[in-house]
Amino acid sequence: MKGYRNYFMNKLAWFFVTLVAAFILNFILPRLMPGDPVAAIVSRLAQGMSNTTGVQAIYEQYAEQFGTNKPMLEQFFLYMKNIFRGDFGFSFSQYPRTVADVIKSSILWTIALQFPAIIVGWIIGNTLGALAAYRRGTFDKILMPVSIFVSNLPAFGMAIIMLVIFAVTFKWFPTSGGYGFDLIPNFSWRFIWSVIVHYQLPFWSIVLITIGGQAIGMRAMSIYELNADYVKYSRFLGIKDRKIVGYVFRNAMLPQITGLALSIGTMVGGALVAEIIFSYPGLGSTILTAVLGQDYPLISATTLIITLMVLTANFLLEIFYGILDPRIKAAQAD
Amino acid sequence: MGKVMLDVRELTTKYITRFGEDVYAVDHVSLAIEEGRSLGVAGESGCGKSTLALSLMGYYFPPLYYTSGDIIIDDNNISGMDPDEVRKSILGREIAYIPQAALNALNPTQKIIHFIEDVVRAHDPTATKQEIYDMAKGLFESLGLPAEVLQKYAVELSGGMKQRTVIAISVILKPQVLIADEPSSALDVTSQKMVIKMLRNLMDNGYIKAMIFITHELPLLYNVTDDIMVMYAGQIVEKAGAHDAVFDPLHPYSKGLMGSIIVPEEGLRDVKLAAIPGVPPNLKNPPSGCRFAARCKYVRPECRVYSVPLREIGNGRSYRCVISEEELRDIYAREAQENG
Repeated sequence: MKGYRNYFMNKLAWFFVTLVAAFILNFILPRLMPGDPVAAIVSRLAQGMSNTTGVQAIYEQYAEQFGTNKPMLEQFFLYMKNIFRGDFGFSFSQYPRTVADVIKSSILWTIALQFPAIIVGWIIGNTLGALAAYRRGTFDKILMPVSIFVSNLPAFGMAIIMLVIFAVTFKWFPTSGGYGFDLIPNFSWRFIWSVIVHYQLPFWSIVLITIGGQAIGMRAMSIYELNADYVKYSRFLGIKDRKIVGYVFRNAMLPQITGLALSIGTMVGGALVAEIIFSYPGLGSTILTAVLGQDYPLISATTLIITLMVLTANFLLEIFYGILDPRIKAAQAD
Repeated sequence: MGKVMLDVRELTTKYITRFGEDVYAVDHVSLAIEEGRSLGVAGESGCGKSTLALSLMGYYFPPLYYTSGDIIIDDNNISGMDPDEVRKSILGREIAYIPQAALNALNPTQKIIHFIEDVVRAHDPTATKQEIYDMAKGLFESLGLPAEVLQKYAVELSGGMKQRTVIAISVILKPQVLIADEPSSALDVTSQKMVIKMLRNLMDNGYIKAMIFITHELPLLYNVTDDIMVMYAGQIVEKAGAHDAVFDPLHPYSKGLMGSIIVPEEGLRDVKLAAIPGVPPNLKNPPSGCRFAARCKYVRPECRVYSVPLREIGNGRSYRCVISEEELRDIYAREAQENG
């Protein structure tokens, strides 16, 4: 048990170190972008105004309100203080909406799209990979090249291919959005059906890419484990194949759990692209508009949320891994 | 004469390679072990020792295939049996195996006791956890292993402890015959000694009734087993009592093999070590005559044309060579004189 506590404390410490580093970068990086977002807002508001002192007054008022006229260090401490109070401030580009409000309306879409897609892709991919390793033959010979092809497609490539085939050519599914643009979100059957239909293309484009990568990894690990000495020894002790296959797949699965953590990480980079292509109303689209509008608070908040999700997922998986694989604890106990 | 526990007659098994070639790694091997006896199998790497061990289990999986011959364990001919039946009622129960790389023989993510549960339940699905635990604890303690080992994972055990745990697991169902394939070759001398002691213990206490011990370390065989069988290129070239096989080998290959080791006995201080030049033949297309002909110091023209069967010379000894026993002894005596 001591080994496990060491392991846990170690992982927890790293979790916080990474979090602090990410927190600082999240604040600094968007603010290093050239351009003045307040000027952009003011110019939008002040269209047609000829009174320069009036425009100047509006600019100063906004700069004061957003805190952009203060030194960077002071801004940072202010930002930190506000974050701890749960206040992410106003969105520059969608003013007067608050950041919290913008994120609240998009984050559920992202979570509802990405998590099921990654989990489903992971499960299907691992099952196929394990089957390919176990059955070999034709199944393996077909699955492998297809998996390699699919897993190497960039996320936007897969999304565009699906968009062209199923939405443009066959017109089976809508091309964009999270629900029909003529609908108002509510719990009517019409709206729910619309959401389901819009869900399919982004969902499957993420699932397919995840399947490919996972199947390749799982196949390789399973083949390695199937040839391990303990398999032969277990057979010679009369243990049934079904049981041995259980040992093999549990052990082959361990590195795949790391793979799951990594694919939750890549969901930020890769899979958000699918959201943008399908104009899905999730975090991906929000980040895109935030970056285009130099919306510092919104960029910082969204990236912070994503960082937190990735770190937490990795942390939880590592903790889980420590329980599953006694070798890890043993290594940490030394 | 005791009861014959394991009787193998003309057993032939082959590997089928990726390219569909047949490789006969065990070629018409016959042997018999009586109750309470142990048999050592010696030979260089690639002579078919480990394949013999696998073949004797009566359960084959690719790339190893059964070709012909009989394996009779405790009056049961298992070579014609359904593989699933062999697995259920023979493996682990009648005949058990200690693998060559025993250090990796345990599933790294399973506690020892849970593996033992799986082993026992594969043969007796009704056994309860408590029964299995009591049985395992009793066995481990009687073999000098602490019962705490049961609650550990393989990674938490030292090399020697892992090896002894594997041996204990192999005999949990009290098999009649134990086949140990180089059980001590990866261990330090102290652990080796403990493993050997443990195997002797198993024999003496009647946990197992007969044992086959495979190794390339001849001094070890001499100390452990009653009889020694020398294999070359998938065939038996000599069978004898342990002492005779080491100090009075007949077949030129055995002679060469024994000459290439040091047995710590009096008078051997000045003996020069001799190596056998060359390597064993490729079994994909074995030579038509004697398989050792290409490396034999005493080779004769007829050796390259035909091979002779094992020749019985009484006293449980046999060897496979065209040269007669007397002639071989003369040759060896002359050689010994020349070397001083």
